[in-house]
Amino acid sequence: MDKGQVHNNIRKLRFHHDEMTQEQLSEIVGVTRQTIIAIEGGKYAPSLDLAFRIALAFGVPLDEVFSYTTGDE
Amino acid sequence: MTYRETNISVSLVSSLLVLGYYLVSWLQMYQDEGMNSTVVFRLWVIVIVATILLNILGNILTSIVISIVHAIKTQSNKEPRFIEDERDKLIELKGTKAAYITFSIGVFLSMLTFALGQPPLVMFSLIIFFSIAAEIVGDFWQLNFYRRGVQYG
Repeated sequence: MDKGQVHNNIRKLRFHHDEMTQEQLSEIVGVTRQTIIAIEGGKYAPSLDLAFRIALAFGVPLDEVFSYTTGDE
Repeated sequence: MTYRETNISVSLVSSLLVLGYYLVSWLQMYQDEGMNSTVVFRLWVIVIVATILLNILGNILTSIVISIVHAIKTQSNKEPRFIEDERDKLIELKGTKAAYITFSIGVFLSMLTFALGQPPLVMFSLIIFFSIAAEIVGDFWQLNFYRRGVQYG
């Protein structure tokens, strides 16, 4: 099976949450700002735990923040 | 550049300096008087102590400089967040794996020289060389993962 890719809407969600900064989000979920930058840029797929914490920070279900596509799609 | 990246860069530079010094000293010794156990032992001690001291000093200086830069940038006394998150841990793990692989190959090659009839001093000198080289490879991979991104698996 081809390797899939995790996509996210973090940038959009931050914008809709009073233009929350990456720094603010990183402090809420307890990671560095660079990790948020890496996730937004698709350079890092977060653990399930961090993914849930990000979704909780925005108050939305997980699938509104992250989506997954396989290599075949 | 983050605190972790700066720390790794400092470690990389100090390891490169130590490795350079080790190679130059070893070649000089080899050309001047051949393998002399007293000189070789002294060189090992210098290299090991220098590695430890440079790493400690590098860490302290990095923390101080980052704190000063942070205070100037933010114009506040609030301390910078030196936290290590899951991405940092994953990158460290992958860097350590690369370092261990390098060191394992190095130890195997060093033992091979002994099996081929070289004196034990050559074998141990090579092990010291590969231990520093492994640290360099580990640091390099970590910086590479910070730049290019990292995935599980």
